Amino acid sequence: MRKSWLFGGVLVFTSITLGLAARAHAEEGGPSQKSLEQRFDELDQEIRILKRKRELDQEAAENAKKATPIVKYSKSQFSLESADGSNFIRFRGIVQADHRLYFDGANDIRNRSDQRAGDLDVNGFHDAGDSWLIRRARLDIETTLFGKYDFRITTDFAQGTASVAYAYLDARFDPAFKIRAGKFKSFVSLERLQGASDIKLIERSYVANALLPNRDLGIAAHGDLAFFQGRLDYAFGLVNGVSDGGDISTGTEFDGRKEFTGWLFATPFVNDTSVLSGLGFGAAATYTDASGERNLNFTDTTPADATRNGLPSYRTDGQNTFFRYSSAAVADGARIRVSPQAYYYIGSLGILAEYARVIQDVSLTTGGSPPAGGAGSNTSFIPNTGKALRHQAWHVTVSYLLTGETASFKGVKPSQNFDFGKGWGAWEVVGRYSEITLDEDTFKDPTGTSFTGAYANLSESAQRARSMTLGVNWYLNQNLRAAVNYSETRFDGGAGDGVAPINAAGTNVADRPDERAVLTRLQFAF
Amino acid sequence: MKTLRTMLITLGALLIAAHPLVVHAEDITLLNVSYDPTRELYQEFNAAFAKHWQKEKGQTVVVKQSHGGSGKQSRAVIDGLEADVVTLALAYDIDAISEKAKLIPANWQSRLPQNSSPYTSTIVFLVRKGNPKGIKDWEDLVKPGVAIIPANPKTSGAARWAYLSAWGYALKKYDNDETKAKDFIGRFYANVPVFDTGARGATTTFIERGIGDVLVGWENEAYLALKEFGAGKFEIITPSISILAEPTVTLVDKVAKKKGTQPVAQAYLEYLYSEEGQDIAGKHFYRPRSEAALAKYANQFSKVSLFTIDEIAGGWQKAQQRHFADGGVFDEIYKPK
Repeated sequence: MRKSWLFGGVLVFTSITLGLAARAHAEEGGPSQKSLEQRFDELDQEIRILKRKRELDQEAAENAKKATPIVKYSKSQFSLESADGSNFIRFRGIVQADHRLYFDGANDIRNRSDQRAGDLDVNGFHDAGDSWLIRRARLDIETTLFGKYDFRITTDFAQGTASVAYAYLDARFDPAFKIRAGKFKSFVSLERLQGASDIKLIERSYVANALLPNRDLGIAAHGDLAFFQGRLDYAFGLVNGVSDGGDISTGTEFDGRKEFTGWLFATPFVNDTSVLSGLGFGAAATYTDASGERNLNFTDTTPADATRNGLPSYRTDGQNTFFRYSSAAVADGARIRVSPQAYYYIGSLGILAEYARVIQDVSLTTGGSPPAGGAGSNTSFIPNTGKALRHQAWHVTVSYLLTGETASFKGVKPSQNFDFGKGWGAWEVVGRYSEITLDEDTFKDPTGTSFTGAYANLSESAQRARSMTLGVNWYLNQNLRAAVNYSETRFDGGAGDGVAPINAAGTNVADRPDERAVLTRLQFAF
Repeated sequence: MKTLRTMLITLGALLIAAHPLVVHAEDITLLNVSYDPTRELYQEFNAAFAKHWQKEKGQTVVVKQSHGGSGKQSRAVIDGLEADVVTLALAYDIDAISEKAKLIPANWQSRLPQNSSPYTSTIVFLVRKGNPKGIKDWEDLVKPGVAIIPANPKTSGAARWAYLSAWGYALKKYDNDETKAKDFIGRFYANVPVFDTGARGATTTFIERGIGDVLVGWENEAYLALKEFGAGKFEIITPSISILAEPTVTLVDKVAKKKGTQPVAQAYLEYLYSEEGQDIAGKHFYRPRSEAALAKYANQFSKVSLFTIDEIAGGWQKAQQRHFADGGVFDEIYKPK
């Protein structure tokens, strides 16, 4: 009991002593309970303020990011893009510097009346001249607005003057339904739809270059639909209509009628991993019915301007003209083109094949002013000279990437860029066989009995051309490519005895000399 | 002729293909571009107007809302946001649309009653429960150690009204001595620890982040906060005097004309002055213009002596130039910490 009293007394004493000491400490300036709470509150506020400021800074940064355009400059593009990606403008370009070297025998059309370069030889030809040239020098501006409206304008400066290669609007309402309007590549030739920087050889084949249309003015509905495990691309267009291989340069069509184009292309296994994943096949067709009346206005132009009568001229791989219609011939009636087409890519191997057939109604005319000018007489049709001419062409192009990259319809991405001692870029070998055969009736008169008075002169224009082209592509990187092609073309017809005109029986016709050419190209594309 | 027929057939085919993409023609969609604190007000008002229009005209109206800082919203319209109507915090922001984008005639404010201001508000204080710092009037906000939360007057309409309220108080207190008023405003903003860009952000800072002693902002926003977060946590302090804030509304003529929505957009704004529109405004703590609605909601608003912007700054254009433009009084007195 006494012990407990003693312990209690000590505790009370200690408490009183400590309390007095604490009070004395507080009075001497030490922190009271209240001031400690205040300090705590102040520190708490400071921490909250700092956190909030950080939060606001982050919000401001996020907002700034949303409103700040994105500038992209990479090896494949230069673009300005809105922060949400729905609006952008992209700049692209391509320059192709070519050299064309011809061996003896590569010629232009025989017996041309306008001798463009030097005198004709004893056979009525002049040798094609070797030359450097800028094949394409294009600046491409592509814009997208609201994520679905594309506009593209491409200006080509290669000809010394600026010309519009493309100018169109593409409204992408849905992947399955898009509308394109303006000047664009007709959805017809598969090889033509391949980009200019992606084609395997320096020039396209007879199918794309000679028979099927190039760029045209009009409107097209297009899109892609689900098809098996892959997709089906379609396009239906209504365009002005250009002659074979033609690239419309103005808004004026030949007779005011329109041309229908249709294209279906299936890649049914594109989403597979099977060996068929790189298979694509399809078909295209065009149709127009052109009255020749308005073409009469163009028959008295120079022979070099042969396409203005609604009819084409055809060129070789080496880009020499080997066929043109008679200046008396005009497109007069229907023109139908059909073209089955396919490609197949597996590993480093690529194959592209295409066939085209055109049925062209033509008539002969008389009158008009002579080529040298002057008053001349009214141009009129020669009765009963209408004929449907059937021409056809095909090609098979095989390519193989020696350095192991994957082949595709689009460009090649080297697995390593060229750098001395470090990488050699991508190397590709390409081979193509391509031929074009014109209707035999083209070279006979309307009755089919004489080689004079025909739709085309067999001693000046060849009836058939067969080209074998071999090429090597060196992709130094994704943007730079060097290419060399060797092309040899053989002809049926297209020449004669000296400079003598063709006789009615066609007995003085000869084959045009073979064309052998080496085409080289240095290409920069971004 | 054959060509024409062909083209018509093709066009018809394209139209048929595009048919699902065509919007139902009888639905009318309006876009109301407004400022931060009006979200709840216009949610209810839009529904009421849609019902009214359906009954009157038999047409379905969908009113879309866009909210943000008043100045920012004004810039968005100038930059191309296609608003049929704008309902912004201050007339100056609508003047900017008229001047810079020419979408609205210069006399827009005279086209609707009450200077196109169908409801008003004022600036009050929201303090924490028990009013620990003893805030009663503007004078208390400039005392050392008081942390006040207004938004940034450079970016927020509410903040400009708050600034001008404090400025008006100071002018009255110091007999229009602008030097002393500037000093007062300087001390006022020296007590701001965090600047939000909009009124709703300032509310978040004060209420949700627990920063500061006083939220200085819209009366309706303060009442809404009280309603949402509970009267047990906060108190509203009404100062002795404050500014008569007049948020304004107008049709964006060129946009509405282009979209063909002019009649319904105009009716939408006029309906703000209807008894139902005024009642909805009062319900959301805006001071209605109509006597009946004002009387109905009189008890929810404290008595306060109100002055106008014309009295203390000569209108919005002058106020903007003098106080908020680059190099103005605000730039003079406020130095970011």
